[in-house]
Amino acid sequence: MRETLVVFRRELKSYFLSPIAYVFGILFLVVVLYFASLSSLVQGSQASMQPFFGLLPIVFLIFLPALTMRLWAEERKLGTIELLMTFPVRSSQLVLGKFTAALAYLAFVLVLTLGLPLTLGAYGRIDWPPVVGAYTASLLFAGSFVAVGMFWSSVTRDQIIAMLLSFGSLIVLYALGYPVLIELLAGWLPAVVVDLLNGISPYKYFESIARGIIDTRDVVYFACFCGFFLYANALVLRVRRLKG
Amino acid sequence: MIEVERLEKSYGFARALKGISFSVQKGEVVGFLGPNGAGKSTTMKILTGYLLPSGGQAAVGGFDVVEDSLEVRRRIGYLPESTPLYGDMRVDDYLMFCAEIRGVPRGRRKGAIQRAIDLCGLERVTGKDIVELSKGYRQRVGLAQAIVHEPPVLILDEPTAGLDPNQIVEVRKLIARLGAEYTVVLSTHILQEVEKSCSRVIIVNQGEIVADGSQEELIKSLPAGGLIACVRGPEAQVLSQCGELLPGCPVTVLERGANAVVYRLQVGSGSAPVEEAFARLVVKNGWDLLELKRERPTLEDVFRSLTLQAQLEAMHA
Repeated sequence: MRETLVVFRRELKSYFLSPIAYVFGILFLVVVLYFASLSSLVQGSQASMQPFFGLLPIVFLIFLPALTMRLWAEERKLGTIELLMTFPVRSSQLVLGKFTAALAYLAFVLVLTLGLPLTLGAYGRIDWPPVVGAYTASLLFAGSFVAVGMFWSSVTRDQIIAMLLSFGSLIVLYALGYPVLIELLAGWLPAVVVDLLNGISPYKYFESIARGIIDTRDVVYFACFCGFFLYANALVLRVRRLKG
Repeated sequence: MIEVERLEKSYGFARALKGISFSVQKGEVVGFLGPNGAGKSTTMKILTGYLLPSGGQAAVGGFDVVEDSLEVRRRIGYLPESTPLYGDMRVDDYLMFCAEIRGVPRGRRKGAIQRAIDLCGLERVTGKDIVELSKGYRQRVGLAQAIVHEPPVLILDEPTAGLDPNQIVEVRKLIARLGAEYTVVLSTHILQEVEKSCSRVIIVNQGEIVADGSQEELIKSLPAGGLIACVRGPEAQVLSQCGELLPGCPVTVLERGANAVVYRLQVGSGSAPVEEAFARLVVKNGWDLLELKRERPTLEDVFRSLTLQAQLEAMHA
């Protein structure tokens, strides 16, 4: 626990020591707020956060691979991984420290977007509980992307390849949550397989919780999804020790 | 402190370590010497828990590197090859991070960091970002990081690689100072480094240990060198007398001076003390003996004779 916390603190600090945090954060805010306010703030429209949360999946898809690509690949390139892996810390603690730091940074960026609901609240009525719920859901959703991106970053020392791999796999996951494709697949594959494929897509779960209704089953899903990729990540580190 | 037995490591089909065994006692400063690619770094990476061995055993402080990896890592300070550091951190922040993650108790951290800073001469740069530092200072930060938690064992992989001559002298002094307190294993392919800093030398070549002992022992193991004698007397007579009376020691002329000649007598390892016989010869013939000394083989000779020979054999095989 203590070790995880030390890793977490250093990682979180590293976001703010490098320009990445600022460039990423500002770009993210500009893109999200611009498009969301286009539809939320026009005259006569309802005061709703729906456009904002509807936009997040696609924005995460584009932005998060770029944020997570360096997490392990950079350590390997610089050789600092040799320090990390010879500290008296378990691989799982390293993985968890890095993961939670990335989540904390994203939580920080999401908090910065609170300006949007606050503005909407000033001009119209806004129902806060579902908004808070949807923010929590967005963080869970982002977490699942971070877990995927971090896993790919542990596989290669080349950041661009890590980014492309996570981008590619997130697109596949996106497609699997897309009703049209699922219907198409249903004609080819047995129903069990189609359900399974559809079931692993984070997008399928995002929609329901983005409306602000948090179901325990959805939370369990996200926990399992992240857990799977984080475990795979720790496994990659272990194999590295073995193969050199 | 360190026990290694039949340690093996393969990368794919390449066998980097072919079953090496050695042990290091508490307080020793051991130099791992070998040409590039001999298996020095691999050994160190296994001892520090970065890599798992493919076979054999290694233990540090009684803990197995595979079974009790965390316990081993708690007892070790490590400076990896090429000194990786987090460039975006300040020196003091970085040392604090290392102290925290190494489990130095909160109350002792400040003192531990100060001690590392003092020992490594980092006072002037504590507030600087690591990226701004010169190679020499980076190396010192790497060493400070390795000792901040006061580990009983220090493992330093090529601690002076890439430094300029002044920096090398500085880092060597530092290692000598650390050697008084810690058990140190350092690897290098620079011979002077071992001659200056280490009490014991292990020479590795192509994944095997080819020599292990103190410098004196290793030098003695070489066939004794020659006998160098500077004599004033007729050269032809000296040569013929030596040839007659010291048949086991072929003589050559090394240098002709104004009134004396320097000779070298090849001495076989089994031959009787040649100094006395030669001195008697000089007295009998009434020559003047200006100088008489043994050639001293250096560690470099040991190293070259052990590693070159193996390389040549490998090339012919």
